[in-house]
Amino acid sequence: MNRWLKFIIVILIGLALGLVYGWVISPVEYLDTTPSTLRYDYQTDYVLMVAEIFNDNQNVEQAARQLAIISSDPPVDIVIQALAYGAQLGYANADLVLLQNLATSLQTWQPNPGGLVP
Amino acid sequence: MNRVDSLNPGDPNLPRKGNWYLLTGLAIGLLIGLIISWMIAPVKYVDTVPSSLRSDFKNEFRSLIASAFYSTDNFERAAARLELLGDSDPIQALTIQAQNLLNNGDPTNTAFLLAYLTSALKQNTEFVPNLTSTSIEIASETIDKTASPTGNGTTITEVTPSSPQQDGIFTLTLRPSSTPSPTPGSPFILKSNQIICDSPQKSLLLQVEVTNSANQPIPGTEIIITWTGGEEHFFTGLKSEISNGYADYLMTPDLVYNFQLAKGGAIVSNLTAPTCSTGGESPNWGGIRLVFQQP
Repeated sequence: MNRWLKFIIVILIGLALGLVYGWVISPVEYLDTTPSTLRYDYQTDYVLMVAEIFNDNQNVEQAARQLAIISSDPPVDIVIQALAYGAQLGYANADLVLLQNLATSLQTWQPNPGGLVP
Repeated sequence: MNRVDSLNPGDPNLPRKGNWYLLTGLAIGLLIGLIISWMIAPVKYVDTVPSSLRSDFKNEFRSLIASAFYSTDNFERAAARLELLGDSDPIQALTIQAQNLLNNGDPTNTAFLLAYLTSALKQNTEFVPNLTSTSIEIASETIDKTASPTGNGTTITEVTPSSPQQDGIFTLTLRPSSTPSPTPGSPFILKSNQIICDSPQKSLLLQVEVTNSANQPIPGTEIIITWTGGEEHFFTGLKSEISNGYADYLMTPDLVYNFQLAKGGAIVSNLTAPTCSTGGESPNWGGIRLVFQQP
């Protein structure tokens, strides 16, 4: 077999080994992730926690501030999305009601002109 | 003889080149592969788990869990959520965070919420060690089929903490939470003010014990201590290996302190570190033990 052909074949074998090692055996690890990268069910539970707290203290400003940590979307959109996911994940009715109440309150809420301060 | 004839591979006079070029090619390929997989197109994690969060976000998550627990008193849910953070010792993580907050002034009063959750966890110590095995059991039964593969090719098996299935399993082993709370409206009275001289370990230590009318220790009670030019807040319940209503503070000799519970009641003023004996050149400092109770 031509030496150049052999050379190219071993390069390709090396490339394949490198990709397997870098993507499968020892991929780049993300240890310091942010809440926005959380899987949707964890994000939904996060929103549920905010709704539980809001149900107790009725502090819509605080709820919006807490929601801003997981997404840059408008707070009401985050809650509506969580509501949909919650229903999909089989959340209890009581939890869905909490999310619904928070969404309703956020719909009429106007942020301060200075914006949210996390 | 022409040049072509001289390059005949069978010619024993030709130098042997070997197969090193194959190894070189393999190394080049490997290098390119690693550059692609680690730098140009690394594995991207979009469906991460709470345990991978940066430490400040973990603190935020912990605060939220504590706050939600304070609002709902749903212990099993709070414990399941804490488990997701992957702390080797959740109680210690909560305590450290609360103490750091207190050291930084704690403008949002979150330390109290963390202390409240810490206290509940300690009261359910028989329950807490079971969390890991319970979670694994749950995960094996209710694997989230929609979970994305992680970078190492395995499937994430954690379940949503608020899912009804998980709640159902936790309820089986849950002991009723019995966090004592102060009787509303009743101001605390100073039941005893005692100087401690018998233990060198308690030297300069201001020990506080807060109990309700049934003499049950109350965790999470905020204590305010002031002195000329300074003020500090701390909470009961962070050292519940001693008592859930216990807190302590290390006094500085010669400073005069005023002491009060944030919820009101008796004010203890002009507290100084007591001197137990003056036998040596330096005084032998003692400690103080204050016990507050609701009538």
